[in-house]
Amino acid sequence: MLTMLRYIIFAPLAGAAINWLLGRRARSELFVGLVACGAVAVSTVVAFYAAFMHGGALHLGEAGNSTAPVFDHLWTWIQVGNFRADFGLAMDRLSGIYTLFITFVGLLIHIFATGYMHGDRGFYRFFAYLNLFMFSMLTLVLADNFLLMFVGWEGVGLCSYLLIGYYTDRREAGDAAKKAFVMNRIGDWGVVIGVMLIFFLTGSISFFDKTVGGAEVYSALARIAAMAPEAFTAQSIIAGGITSAAVLLFIGATGKSAQIPLYVWLPDAMAGPTPVSALIHAATMVTAGVYMVVRCSAIYTHAPTAMFIIAIIGAATAIFAATIGIAQNDIKKVLAYSTVSQLGYMFLACGVGAFVAAIFHVMTHAFFKALLFLGSGSVIHGMHHEQDMRRMGGLKKYMPITFFTMFAGWLAISGIPIWAGFFSKDEILWRTWSAEAGWSQSLHSFPKVLWVIGAVTALLTAVYMTRLMVMTFWGGERFREVNAGGQADEAHAAAYDEHEAPHDAQTASPGDRPHHAPGEHVDDHAHDAHVDDEHADAHAHHSGPFTPHESPWTMTVPLIVLAVLSTVGGLVGIPYALSSLFNAHTPNYFEQTLEPAVAHPVEKGEGARAAEGAGAGANDVRWLSPPPPKTDGAAPLSVGEGSQGESAAERAHSPEEINAERLFTGISVLIAALGIGIGWFLYRRKPLLRAPRLLEEKYYVDEIYDAAIINPIKTGSREGLWKIFDIGVIDGIVNGMGRGITEIGSVVRYLQVGFVRWYAALILLGAVAVIGYFAFMLTQYAAR
Amino acid sequence: MLQDNLLTILILLPTVGALALIGHGLFWKRENDYRWIALLFSVITFALSLLLLTRVGENSDAAFRFEQKTLWIGAIGSYYHLGVDGMSLWLVILTTLLVPVSILSSWNSIKKRALSFYVFMLILESAMIGVFVSLDLLIFYLFFEASLVPMFFMIGIWGGERRIYAATKFFIYTAVGSLLMLVGIIALYYIHQQQAGAGTFDYLTLLDALKSGRVVITESSAFWIFLAFAFAFCIKVPLWPLHTWLPDAHTEAPTAGSVILAGVLLKMGTYGLLRFNLGLMPEMARRFAPYFVVLAIIGIIYGALVAMVQPDVKRLVAYSSVSHMGFVVLGIFSFTEQGMQGALYQMLNHGVSTGALFLLVGMIYDRRHTRQISDFGGLATPMPWFSTFFVIASLSSIGLPFLNGFVGEFLILLGTWLSTGFSYNWVATMIAATGVIWAAVYMLWMLQRVVFGRIRHGENARLSDLNAREVGLLIPLLILMLVMGVYPRPFLSRSRESVVAVQQRVTKSTGAAGSFSVEVQENKQR
Repeated sequence: MLTMLRYIIFAPLAGAAINWLLGRRARSELFVGLVACGAVAVSTVVAFYAAFMHGGALHLGEAGNSTAPVFDHLWTWIQVGNFRADFGLAMDRLSGIYTLFITFVGLLIHIFATGYMHGDRGFYRFFAYLNLFMFSMLTLVLADNFLLMFVGWEGVGLCSYLLIGYYTDRREAGDAAKKAFVMNRIGDWGVVIGVMLIFFLTGSISFFDKTVGGAEVYSALARIAAMAPEAFTAQSIIAGGITSAAVLLFIGATGKSAQIPLYVWLPDAMAGPTPVSALIHAATMVTAGVYMVVRCSAIYTHAPTAMFIIAIIGAATAIFAATIGIAQNDIKKVLAYSTVSQLGYMFLACGVGAFVAAIFHVMTHAFFKALLFLGSGSVIHGMHHEQDMRRMGGLKKYMPITFFTMFAGWLAISGIPIWAGFFSKDEILWRTWSAEAGWSQSLHSFPKVLWVIGAVTALLTAVYMTRLMVMTFWGGERFREVNAGGQADEAHAAAYDEHEAPHDAQTASPGDRPHHAPGEHVDDHAHDAHVDDEHADAHAHHSGPFTPHESPWTMTVPLIVLAVLSTVGGLVGIPYALSSLFNAHTPNYFEQTLEPAVAHPVEKGEGARAAEGAGAGANDVRWLSPPPPKTDGAAPLSVGEGSQGESAAERAHSPEEINAERLFTGISVLIAALGIGIGWFLYRRKPLLRAPRLLEEKYYVDEIYDAAIINPIKTGSREGLWKIFDIGVIDGIVNGMGRGITEIGSVVRYLQVGFVRWYAALILLGAVAVIGYFAFMLTQYAAR
Repeated sequence: MLQDNLLTILILLPTVGALALIGHGLFWKRENDYRWIALLFSVITFALSLLLLTRVGENSDAAFRFEQKTLWIGAIGSYYHLGVDGMSLWLVILTTLLVPVSILSSWNSIKKRALSFYVFMLILESAMIGVFVSLDLLIFYLFFEASLVPMFFMIGIWGGERRIYAATKFFIYTAVGSLLMLVGIIALYYIHQQQAGAGTFDYLTLLDALKSGRVVITESSAFWIFLAFAFAFCIKVPLWPLHTWLPDAHTEAPTAGSVILAGVLLKMGTYGLLRFNLGLMPEMARRFAPYFVVLAIIGIIYGALVAMVQPDVKRLVAYSSVSHMGFVVLGIFSFTEQGMQGALYQMLNHGVSTGALFLLVGMIYDRRHTRQISDFGGLATPMPWFSTFFVIASLSSIGLPFLNGFVGEFLILLGTWLSTGFSYNWVATMIAATGVIWAAVYMLWMLQRVVFGRIRHGENARLSDLNAREVGLLIPLLILMLVMGVYPRPFLSRSRESVVAVQQRVTKSTGAAGSFSVEVQENKQR
């Protein structure tokens, strides 16, 4: 039991190693697929056992209801002075939930990928990377200290890099991969500095109090929780205290979780194979930023300024990405912007102090977004690698399973009741309205503004998802009218094997960045004329009408499982306000499980509210852990030990609040229905309706970054630093001095006239003389 | 017997090998044997150097081991005095490892004057080992200078097109620096003679005299002596703006020369700073720390930015060295255990990673006879093994966690953050840490243009992948990258006490310039 967690991370690592070393020689997709899926299956089984076993992090039985994490210490990684970083794993409730959905969704996506990647020449390589990713991601969430978390953090970035650039001969893939890594690195800078600041403030980088080999390691988070919260001021950001650390860590989160201003890599990352998009760029890796923020909730609750920043960035990203999502025609790009937008929701939740709601949304999002991505993969597969929705249409007849499963995902993301996304999104919106973060005391009306942004985003979400569904599954069969069939993913690799010119590399537009998604030009005839001629051969075998087909079982089974999860997965977190409607009085399992693992915003009058809540509905609450001692005023904010903080269920159960929450739930449902309605009537009639150019061009953010940052740095470095300063100034001075002091030629002449051997002999002679002398002295010394 | 004279044997063995080579060359003239003889001697040297680990164990104290002390030139009090401690231990082993690797890398590429090449290589090895184990300033100086000459010829004879220019520049730069150091050494001798009766070049005697206060260097002398030493070492490092010899030398040198230059010779500079500048003149080190930190940070950013725009892949790696060595200097002048341990570790990391990168660049140069990035592209398809190694070495250079570079860089940055030696240390850390972003930019961009993408030149499609010899010489470095990244303890725990001793000496000493400690106290507030 004590050494169990390591199998969760090492099984995929072993799978990666086996596939990397043997996979190429095995030349068997069955072998590679079994190793990869088997490794993840081992992780999944061990993870579920570790979480639900007696004494496990998520074991909610009456007896073993401890909230203490399960530890697994491997070795002390770095120990210098008083700095110590262990290779130690820990599973508490937060990492437990993460581990479960990562392994389970990961397993499904692995299975899906065996079907999707069938026939790819790099099959073994793909699965080696995918397993390596699982190792990194699980290390990230199971790490018991900041630095090991950072190992996973960088590791997932690396795997993301390798997998985005998986089709190494596609230029746009290479560009996207590099962009992703560098954007992540900018964020990582914040994480590294933030970790140092935390060490500086607390003298530890561990998440938990623990004892390793007799040495006491204390929790940095608990130390910070014991400090006084910082004020809600702009100065605190640069003061070098808790707020600074919180903001620095959040910089990392903006990189990893694709928030403004570092979000631009995620849409480009769709150049990777679709299962990668589902696993890394929707379900797991991109939510790492949310994980970190929630893990550090003790820090954030003490840094209201940082919370405020997170809320603003989250809300801004949510609506910004949603507007772009409406205008995209590549099915994966729509989902990518949707992911950015949904991640914004999660951060909005963190920013208003609803950490549990954020994690809830992470989980449901993992289900429905993985489903939607895999569904899109199935569509792309069935459409002979076409990604452009303008060349789809009417697919529900041909791909019924894909259609029905994606239908569930559609309802889930739009926020239709009982589907998973509804509960989590509704929860976030409600908590935004009734924000309880430290900053909301100073800015009373601002949470309302954020709520409006969130609500508009919800509306837009329903619209663009309806558009996606309508363009793909309903309407005329547009693939019969144009040359559909593209070069996405593996088709491209196949074309390469047949020595056909890969399509994109030759049409890459000047400026290093392809401006059209694969196949996009075919619809646009003006653009088409000069591009497509030369590639007519390249996809001759795709052209002409064809019949889309349903995908094999390896792909549809994961879809069905995910569809079920997207449908019922939200039921673990039904808020009290809703369950009490039906007199069910079901506890909000999710909230009660996770609540002890996060810190709560320090509020005025918290004690009073707690007392009030106790009267209203406390007898309905079945405590899964021993009820925490009631405290007055600010609750003690230790993290990980779980003996603090009232359950939100208890706090929020005043009758007025329940009524308000119900009202807002009603509004959410209306918004979702309205969005679907707008989408349906707008796009059912005119599926090719174009959005404003500004949105289609993604607000020109990439172009602005290029012009304002990247190009000046490149030019400045080349012309200024290197050519003028290095070669001109420094070398000029040195060479000038050199010429002045000595005639360079005279030193060099020896080299050219064959004196070398003589010179070598001379040195040697000298050396021998010296050595002989030493030897002589040594014998003298020995004789003495 | 072997153990007692181990250091002498380590220094002598390569030279004996060089003699054997010449003897062989004179009598048999069998070209193919040279490399085997050189390899044999260097491998034996490496194996013997591992014996050093027996006495410098984990958690061993700061004392010197394998000490040998014999009067050399009695008239001037110069001793043949050798010893290793935790600081020099791994540098010696790095040297003895990189030499056989370099010899293997030259296996087929050195055709011209092979005998001289291997003779120079072995002499160079003797000199490099000597530098790291000398405990007498005069002996140190001799070895320091002796390492210059073989390298000068290696660049000048077996180098690329601009080899003469590069070799000359390298020679003049470093010779000027070391002459200044000689002046500094003599000044120390003179001061000791004046105050303690007899002059000495012995490092430990000097250190003892300075520690106990028997000998006090006046502030003004210390100022100049410190600068003289620092100038020599900073050229070697090289610290910005004294770095311009490096891109030329690294680029023009033959592969083996670049590996040794980057892997070992640069470390002589940082080792010298640690051992002599900090050890002998701690007050001055404190006083100068802010300047060194600023220059180091400029070097980190500058080296990375200039590396980014290099059209020549070898030059890119060379400029990346400027950036990485900036980190080392930054760590040394943080005067914290974390920073200095990190600096020492980063010296080893840089030797391994950059050494591997130069080897890899050499391997494609052997095949294509070009170093222009634009001539490559898409090598992943014809050369999968090469590409794998190249990517891993690059990632190690970028500082990916669980590869070696990360441990060193993180410790250096942490040490800088915790430093009390200069104000605004957190600003320094934040700026220096951006170097990690730039590293990703230039390395990945280079990878994208060399390894990934489509094949744009027909020749590249027919390139052969690495052969067994090439894989074999890279594997040890690859293993080291992983081990040093995942389990740094055997390294860090051996050097801890020696590094802490220097660190304590710098932070605790109140010598002639006692007022500086007040300054340090003031800065501590942050």
